[in-house]
Amino acid sequence: MATVTVAARPVQVARTARAKAIRRHVLIYLGLAPFMVIAIFPIFWMVITAIKQDADLYLVDAAPFWFRLPPTWHNFDFLFHNTSYGDWIVNTMAISFWVSAITLLVAVPAGYALARLRLPFSENLGIGIFMTYLVPGIILFIPLARVVSSLDLQDSWWSLVVVYPTLTIPFCTWLLMGFFKTVPFEIEEAAMVDGCGQLGALLRVVLPVSWPGLITAVIFSFTLSMQDFLYALAFVSVSDQKPVPLGVATELIRGDIYFWGSLMAGALLVGVPVAIVYNFFLDKFITGITGAAIK
Amino acid sequence: MTEVSTGGSRSPDTSLAIEVGRRARGVSWWRTPTARRYTFGYTLLAPAVLYVLLLVGAPFLFSLYLALSDASTGAPVAHFVGLDNFRSAVETSVFYTALRNTLLFTVGAGLLKGLLGTTLAFLLLQPFHGRKVIRALIVVPFTLPIAVSVLGWKWMFDSQFSVINWALSRLDLIGPYGSASWPVWLGEPGLALLSVMFVNVWRGFPFSAIVLLAGLTSVPPEILDAAKVDGATFLQRFRKVIVPMIAPILFIGSAFDTVFTLSDLSIVYLLTNGGPDGATEILPTLAYNTGIRGGALGRGAAISLFLLPILLPLIFFLLRALRRRQY
Repeated sequence: MATVTVAARPVQVARTARAKAIRRHVLIYLGLAPFMVIAIFPIFWMVITAIKQDADLYLVDAAPFWFRLPPTWHNFDFLFHNTSYGDWIVNTMAISFWVSAITLLVAVPAGYALARLRLPFSENLGIGIFMTYLVPGIILFIPLARVVSSLDLQDSWWSLVVVYPTLTIPFCTWLLMGFFKTVPFEIEEAAMVDGCGQLGALLRVVLPVSWPGLITAVIFSFTLSMQDFLYALAFVSVSDQKPVPLGVATELIRGDIYFWGSLMAGALLVGVPVAIVYNFFLDKFITGITGAAIK
Repeated sequence: MTEVSTGGSRSPDTSLAIEVGRRARGVSWWRTPTARRYTFGYTLLAPAVLYVLLLVGAPFLFSLYLALSDASTGAPVAHFVGLDNFRSAVETSVFYTALRNTLLFTVGAGLLKGLLGTTLAFLLLQPFHGRKVIRALIVVPFTLPIAVSVLGWKWMFDSQFSVINWALSRLDLIGPYGSASWPVWLGEPGLALLSVMFVNVWRGFPFSAIVLLAGLTSVPPEILDAAKVDGATFLQRFRKVIVPMIAPILFIGSAFDTVFTLSDLSIVYLLTNGGPDGATEILPTLAYNTGIRGGALGRGAAISLFLLPILLPLIFFLLRALRRRQY
């Protein structure tokens, strides 16, 4: 009897600690479950709709959560053969590329100047530039429509290349400013002692060590170009000039007929990669907007 | 140089004094390292400032001008019409619906997002297995392009094949298709407004949670421990330590969210386009339909400017919060 109790003691302690941990986990998972369902179900539903046969979408008797008829790639075929989806993807990529290029070209020098050169009014200028990010597109899109048409860019995706940097430049300038502030002064001074000018120090020393910041700026420009709907809707109405989100939302609905399968397929094909990449950079994005000062 | 010479013609004394002062500091101020740094710096800044001035500042002023004119897409010449656009906007009943919905949308959805976001943030703050994966999955609504996810919701709200209705009817909470208790989510005024708000909340709550989480993790544990040692209860620690410390971040986060919500038209445009019968119209959709679709640029600009009184105080306080965070 005595030997048993001596042996059982530590086991029991371990077991209660473990039971506690398990109970804590169960409670947390239970708390998170509704959030998970609400967040993920719509995406699951879109995915399964995209690879269902049309007839399968409209069967109301059996549970719709899984395939009643065999899954199919037909919706993706349809996109590439019966719509301008290929054009839309090319447009989206081209827009994103040019927007990123313009953004880097403009925001890198600006961010560097604000962070490093101890200019008079630099703090106010920095906040001023950043605040323009908050001027909502809904106030600007009507006057910008005039600007776009005076540049003769209406109904061309180039109009979006001109307009999107109004969002990316303020944000990326702010983001890069925070980034350049963390690069130690000494390496720049060392470069200048070694004979680099101020510009040389920026190009040869500061930029190479700041590549994570530059990548974040590029990712942000890319995702923003793919997230926008308002400007695309307002400025581009020719089918083969549309970016993907606009094309999918406007061309796959004919009157009252919705091509649900291909709608979901087309939306997800671009949406999912964007969501995944954005996911990795979300924390940088949040740090950017909360003032680049969370330590 | 010009200043000195004109000064000289009026009163020789000052001119002399300036001459002396200048000579003492060295004539070529432009050659000093400081001056070169300034020139270099402002040259680097110029493209960004110009871009923003030309494509945000100027259009903003232009929209003020448009709002006071009868500009339309068809007519090349616009005439000044004073406040007519604002007056005629205010005289329509759909404008009031849009204004009411915009406020309801912003405040109602904002509160819900705050509530859900806070709950979620405190859950995600706990250490547990699979935290990273769950976090990555929960933020997907925010990271998915908005037009993409709204299309998914449109299909889920379908009048006949809505998966939500399928589940509800299997649970016997609603009747079969066609019966009075079968909700047509986007077809009934009240339900449509709720649905639209729900999608906004769905997209925004992960953002609130992540912002809050960033704030909570930035509170140094030593401060909380110190408060604990001093005998503060959990609620006291929350109210007196955590809230004041994360307040600026909270505010910045919710201000951003409000701006996103206020200026976003894609949810309403794609789900209901303001319908049924204008029940879900918000200022952005009304401005778009009037200004771009209807071609009445002036009227549209006037309608969108009604957002300013809501936005300006927000931007003002945000500015202060950002300033304070700088140090």
